[in-house]
Parts: sequence; structure tokens; C-alpha cells
Amino acid sequence: MIDLMFTEEQEMFRKAAREFAETSVAPHVAKMEETGRMSDELIRALGEAEMMALTIPEEYDGLGLGYTARLIALEEIGRVSAATALTLQVFALGVAPITMFGDEEQKKKYLPGLAKGERLATVGVTEATGGSDPKSIRTSYRKVGGDYVLTGRKCFITNSHIADTITILARGEENPDLFTCFIVESGVEGFKPAHEEHKMGMRGCNTGWLVLEDCRIPGENLLGEEGRGLRIAMSAIGEVGRAGMVGCALGLHTACLEASVKFAKERILYGEPISNLQMIQNKLAEMKIDLEAGRLLGYRATSMQDKGMRASNELAAAKYFTTEAAQKAAKMAVDIHGAYGCMEEYPVSRYLRDSFLVGASAGTSDIMKVIVARWALE
Amino acid sequence: MPMHDNMGARCGAVWVIAEQTDGRIRTGSLQLVGHARKLANQLGTCLEVVLLGGNLVGVIQPLFAAGADRVYLGNDPDLALYQPEIYTEMVVKLATEQEPEIMLVGSTSMGRELAPLVAARLQTGLTAHCIDLVLDENGILEQRVPAYGGLVSITCPDRRPQMATVARGVFPMPQLDEDSTGEVVPLDVPDEVPGRVQTLEVIREEPEGVPLEIASVIVAGGAGAGDLDGWCKIADLAKVLNAALGSTRPAVDEGWIGLETMIGQSGKVVSPELYIGVGLSGEMQHMVGITGAKVMVAINSDAKSPVFEQVDYGVVDDCRKFVPVLVEKIKEHRERALSRSSRSHGPTSI
Amino acid sequence: MLRIAVCVKAVPDPKEATRIKIDPVTRTLLRRDVPLVTNHLDRNAVEAAVQLKEELDAHVAVISMGPPPAETIVRECLALGADEGILLCDQAFGGADAFATAYSLAKGIEKMGGFDLVLCGMASSDSGTEWVGPKIGALLGIPVVTAVREIVERDGRSWKVKASLENGYRLVRVRLPALLTVTRELNTPRALSFSGIVSARKKEITEWGINDLGVQEEAVGLRGSPTITANLTIMNGKDSKRAVEMITGTREEAAERLVEKLAAAGML
Repeated sequence: MIDLMFTEEQEMFRKAAREFAETSVAPHVAKMEETGRMSDELIRALGEAEMMALTIPEEYDGLGLGYTARLIALEEIGRVSAATALTLQVFALGVAPITMFGDEEQKKKYLPGLAKGERLATVGVTEATGGSDPKSIRTSYRKVGGDYVLTGRKCFITNSHIADTITILARGEENPDLFTCFIVESGVEGFKPAHEEHKMGMRGCNTGWLVLEDCRIPGENLLGEEGRGLRIAMSAIGEVGRAGMVGCALGLHTACLEASVKFAKERILYGEPISNLQMIQNKLAEMKIDLEAGRLLGYRATSMQDKGMRASNELAAAKYFTTEAAQKAAKMAVDIHGAYGCMEEYPVSRYLRDSFLVGASAGTSDIMKVIVARWALE
Repeated sequence: MPMHDNMGARCGAVWVIAEQTDGRIRTGSLQLVGHARKLANQLGTCLEVVLLGGNLVGVIQPLFAAGADRVYLGNDPDLALYQPEIYTEMVVKLATEQEPEIMLVGSTSMGRELAPLVAARLQTGLTAHCIDLVLDENGILEQRVPAYGGLVSITCPDRRPQMATVARGVFPMPQLDEDSTGEVVPLDVPDEVPGRVQTLEVIREEPEGVPLEIASVIVAGGAGAGDLDGWCKIADLAKVLNAALGSTRPAVDEGWIGLETMIGQSGKVVSPELYIGVGLSGEMQHMVGITGAKVMVAINSDAKSPVFEQVDYGVVDDCRKFVPVLVEKIKEHRERALSRSSRSHGPTSI
Repeated sequence: MLRIAVCVKAVPDPKEATRIKIDPVTRTLLRRDVPLVTNHLDRNAVEAAVQLKEELDAHVAVISMGPPPAETIVRECLALGADEGILLCDQAFGGADAFATAYSLAKGIEKMGGFDLVLCGMASSDSGTEWVGPKIGALLGIPVVTAVREIVERDGRSWKVKASLENGYRLVRVRLPALLTVTRELNTPRALSFSGIVSARKKEITEWGINDLGVQEEAVGLRGSPTITANLTIMNGKDSKRAVEMITGTREEAAERLVEKLAAAGML
């Protein structure tokens, strides 16, 4: 018999995350939307609330709570601010290569700081050639003495300007078939974030380019083994990045449904609340069904992960479903609001803008279908 | 007359625990005595008041004027400040001897502490912050309290006294009969109290602005204020009511007041006892921010304004002209209420 | 060591209070489906206890009376820093009024062994009464100070506190053991943290029924309650529209009448 109930402890995690989101995240949302920048104060608050420590093992000052607890936290934060959830999810994505493939020295050096939020992580895989085809990247490395020298450009990098501990995927200058990951610290010479993007949604989340120009890093910053870089990057994105986007999408979807229900109960038309209208109820029912289904897909995948199983196929299905559903839900939410939905004063306009970004991050819906089709054809 | 089973001559008295401030019986105590008088009449029993304090010479007459038959008076320097231990001890001892039928206490800071201490010692019930008190056909006190969108009636059928604290201002000020007198029974201060808790000092504080979120009275203004001058009149109303001042989006946009005062969808959510909306039209964006207000009032010059569909009392008038008059009337009402407690109004007709 | 007992109550989430109905037969509140949360002011009481623990050598026990789901809020208090939890849970406790509740909690606190300080939130958000705290104190025979907003001074077992009044405060000296009920001004309760939740895994919650407390069934719950809730007037909660009464007359008259209406409603 499968158990599809959250434990008492997981419910408490949700409560803690919700409390945090509503008291510490919500006040920053308006300013983040206005300026298009992540708030430093909010980053500090995320650290103090141990949000960066969730997935880091206890022996490195983390909480070692696993994937389900993380999904709960992201869902609750995403409900209040999808941009903050995306920022946070990518911190964990940036941590994943180190926890999964880092050696003891690297873990000791980086993880405690990352757990406390003193260090902030991200992953640099995507280039102008796209993120779905990592084999076409051009960033290269060469060995000089005991060090490595990296050159190239990464784009659409979440947390580009705020992260200081970055896993970079590069290919050998001499042997381009050799893909390797390196930990690059933002202070090193030859590394700089460039061009901050202005996105249609998730405006408070920082996205930009990373430029590496003869960036020399010590040999001990090689992550895992030389030539294993693709596997490292894909494991992190497949297991952690996609799960994170499921969290963002579920949170956003919940927000859409809650705002719609609230509005439909309050908005009076023809002398009664529009929630009595079947046309509106139809939309609410669709949103609710998709949310319930999406949560089942997402939490099933994370519970597999927590049991030590791989779940990249299940997460691809969950990511496809939840991000598509969030987009649909956001459109329906705006529709239910009528003209109010187009006003910036109502949050649903933000939800709609944000909903277009949950699809594109960590693999588009089309790519998810490629993975799921491969899974089906196995 | 409806009577409690074992009533008749042996029915205990109706009691009021009165309070005084600076040598003056509190208005709330007199209102409570006024209502208790009616209950005592219906029960055919007498009305007794317990008053404890430090310098009560010439203070107690209004209690008789309001209808008390007997005043148990603890007048001692040790009682000047509310002392929970001594006060509780004295009331418990007296109640144990006298076996009152009903004991009413005002929902004041003191009453809210003293009443449960006494009730627990007497092992009897205690109803909180009643808004009405009536006797049922058996002479049992129905203590009415608002709860969950309804009104519940709480009784204490088997234990005595039946105890309740009473919300502020729910009963009118009784007519005072200046010539009325009654018996004064002096109470001794107990010799031995453990002295484990002692009020050292009472410090008064001028209330600063009340935060909207916890304000029990809110005056909210909107575009109808017209200009800053009009807005100031609305602010005056808030001041005289000791209310928090809230606003709508248009008022904020006009720059009359800060964003932090905005109530509604994108502002604050409030749940006051009393809400007065002035010069605002009841737009949904504003109104959804007001939840569970007990009484709602709107003042708007447009009789067709939707705000009137969402309130209990409506006044159609230009708020800039109406509000200053309202402020004056509130001040007059306050003065009348104060002076009633010390002035005669001819014979009582209860 | 300072032994602190904190009384907490699981109340229906105030945000969902409209879903609460009154059972016309048993005349008690039907709280089904409404999630339970820790009464807000009780969080201030827990915070005060945990702050004392951080400063002094103290042991913080949380005690609550409620149905089995109330265990969640006890666990939450452990996650907030309390050391152990007691849940008084028995069918017989059901339907208790403030007196019967205070009696049961007082018995529970006695059974827990010695204590120096009992802390309660000043009021509960669901019933709005403020009685359980002071009644526990009275039944335990210890001094009580309600509405404490600041602990000014701790001189061994003699403490000085500020207790809120309508228009100021009382400066009160109280000797331990004592019971204090606290207001929200006393502190800002800490947030529930993930690590706190993890640390609560190792802490114990003990459940006691009437037999454990050694109390009679007649003394607790509905049967031990002096008060009865009856004769409900259930106002139609579905129709949120208020029936407006327009106040007419000249400007003076209208103002006069409005003042009368407000005074009659107890609003002035």
C-alpha cells in the first residue's frame, strides 16, 4: 500500500515555510518587481531561515532533509514569490554538483558556507547555443601546470550576479569530447558576471551572463573526474533543477487558484458572487484538478529520491505537467479577474508573467517530452 | 413574577463589583448597577455593590443614586491600588458569607483579572464580556455573548453566584436619584495576606496612534474628502474616537496620507469593532480589507453609492460638512455621560 | 533550575474562522476541517519561556488540553524550543468550559511535579476569554499577574513586571512560584525553523487521560463545567450583506442619531 500522506513533520515544515514566506518574503515582492532585482535583505533572510541548508548533509552544517522537504519549502515560497523560489531552487542546484560529486576537501571548503547562506551557488551550463544541447557548448579549459584556464561565455544563468560559488561546465581545448566541471569562485581573475537580463517575469530573480577570460583556477577545483562533466551537470539539473522548477510551478499554481477563489467569492455580478457561475466554477475545477495531479507527480518523484532512487524521468513528467498547468492556471486566473486581472495592483498579472518562465527553466516542455518519450519507448 | 426555585426571601442578592478612579465611580460601574437593579427587581432581591479603594469618603453616593440597596465598602489605604491578593480574598470571603445569586464585574483591566480569580476560588462559572444579561423564566441569568456569527446564551444553572464580566457600554446610564440612600457595610482589610503579589504603582500613558491592525475603532477616508482640509476633518473624527485612521487608494494617491494606512486588497486587512467609512464609495478593493467589523457606518454624498449596501448605518451627506458636526455631537455625548454620574436627574423610575 | 510550565491551546485557524459552526444539539463548536494552530498569544508565552531558558538554567514544559490533533501544536512548541510536552487528551475532557479546563490543566501541572513559573497567553483567539490562565493560578494557589507586557526585573524569586491596563500599566512585584499571562507586547515570537522541527524529533510528548491525572469524570469536561452554552441565535452567516439603516434628518439630527446608535451598540 503506498502512503500518499505527508507526515506530521512534513506538515510542520510546510507551516514553517509558509510562515517564513508570508512574513519574510512577501514584503519584498513589490520592490523586486519594480526594480527587477533580488533583495539583499531577502537573501540574508533566506539564509537565516536555513533555506539554503535544506539539502546539505548534516556533517557539513546542513539539515540533510532531502527532496520532499525541499519541494515543500519551494512550493510555499513560490506561492508568495515565484522569483524567490527560483532563486532559492538554483542555490540548491548549484550546491548539488558539490554534494553529489565533490571530494571531501571541496565539501568541507564549500558546503558549510553554502548551508549558512554565506556563500551562494549556481551552475553555469547554458550558453548562447542553448541549454538543452550541452554538447554544443564552446567554453573551454586547458591545463596549465597544476591549474586550469577557462575561457567562454555562459548565458541565462540564474543568480549570475549574486552567486559566488559556481559550477562551470567546459570542454577540453585539446580534446573537445572531454567535458569537465569546475568550481569557480566569483572573485578570481578573468571571471566576471556581465549583462543582467530584464525578463518578462520572475523579475526579482537575477539572471545574466558569466564571462570567463583566461580564468585561471587551481587544480583542486576540478569537480569529480575529468571527462565526467556532462554527467555531473545533467544529474544536478535532472534531479535537483527540475524538482526545483516543479516546486516553483506548484507554488505559483496554488497562488493562482487562491487568488481566483478569493476574487470569485468577492466579486458580485448579477447580484451574486461570480463563484456561483458555472463558467467560473469550470475554470476553478480545472485549476484544482491540475494542482492536485501536479502535486502527486511532484511529491511521488521526490519521495522516490528520498528513498535513494533516481527519478529524473518522473521529474521530467512532473516538470512538464506542473509548469504547463501553472501557465494555464495563470491565464485562467487573469481571465477570472476580468479587467482587474490586467491591473498591476492585482497579483495575478504577475503570476501570468512569471508562469512563462517556469517552462523555460531547467529544460523546456518540449525537452521534457523528449525525455518522457524516451522513457515510454524504453 | 418569575422566580428561581429556592428563591423567595432566601434568594441571594445581585452583586456588582464597582470600580472608581480618582474618587469617582466609573461610568461603566454605574451602568452595570443600573442594569443590575432591574435584574434584582425581577428576582425580588436586593442589589448590593462591593467597592474597594483607598479614599472613598463622598464617593459612593452615585451607587445608591443608580439603584444600589447596600454598599460593601472596603476603604483603606492598603486598598488604594488594585491589589489582586487582598481584593480577591475580600470578595471571596464576603461572597462565601453572603452567597449572592449573581455577581457582575465590568470588563475592565481589573475586572478581567479579579473576576476569574474570584470565580475559580468560588468554583463557579464566569462568562466573558457579555453584551446582554436577561433572566429566563426560571430566574436563571442568560449571559449573552456574540460568537461565530451568532449570539450564544451562557448560563450557570447549578452553581452560585452566576458570574459574568460585562462589555463596555452595553447598558445605558440609569437615571440617578440623588436622594436615594442605602446601607453602607464597612469591610475590614484582612490582617494576613501572603503578600506574594503587590501592585507597586499605576502609571498612566497617553495613547499614541493606534495601529490599524489591532484598532478596535477605525475611521477610513476616501476621495470624498476633496482636499487636504477635508481630510483633516476626517482625521479629527478619528482623533475624537481614539480610532486608527485608514485610507483608500485614491486618498493615498492624492497624498493626503501614507500608503501604510491603506486598507484593502493591496493594503491592510483590519477587523475593528467599529468601522466608519467617510467619503468613500465602497469599492471592492477597499472593502475586502475589512473583515468581521461589528458595526459599520458609511458617510457619503451619493445615496446610490454601493458602500451603503455593505454597512449597518448610512448617512447621505457631504462628509466635509457632516463630519465636523458629528465630532461635536460625540464630544457632547461624552460630556453628558460623564456628568450623569454625578448629577441628579429627578426620581428614578425603574 | 527554573522550572517553567507553558499552557498552550490549539485553536481553529483564525483565518478560517468562518467555517466554524455551532452544533445545535450539543451546543458546542464544531471545529471539524478547520486546521488547528497554536493560539497566537500562547506563542508569546512559549517565546518568553524559551528566552528565559536561553538566559538561565531552565526547563520548559508545554502543556495543552485537546483532542489528538492538538499534539501537532505541542510538537510545534517543542520545535520552538520547549523541552517536553504534555497533552491532556481524553474523551472526558471534551466540552470543558474555562473552569473545567483550568481545573484539568492545574491537575496536569501538579502531576508534572514542581514548577516555579506558569506562563499562559493572555486570551484565546477562539473564545476570546481570558479566564483559563488566572483560574489555573487560583486553583494552584499561586499569585497571578495578567496581561504582562514586560519583565522589568528578576531578583532571584522576586520579579517585577509591567501589566497592561486600558490606559497605562501596573508595576507589579510578584514572588515565584507564580502564574503570568502575557500580551503580544512582551516579545516577538521566533519563527518556526526547519532545524527546530528536526530537533523536536528527539523530544517527548506524554499523553495523560483522566486516570493519569487521578481526577473524577464528573470534575472535568462538559460535566465539570459550571456553565452551559444554550439558546443559540445563529445569525445567517452566509449573507454577508448588512441591512443598512439610513439615518435621515437634518445634518444636526442625523449626527445626533448616529451618536445614539453608536452609543447603543456600545461603540462610544
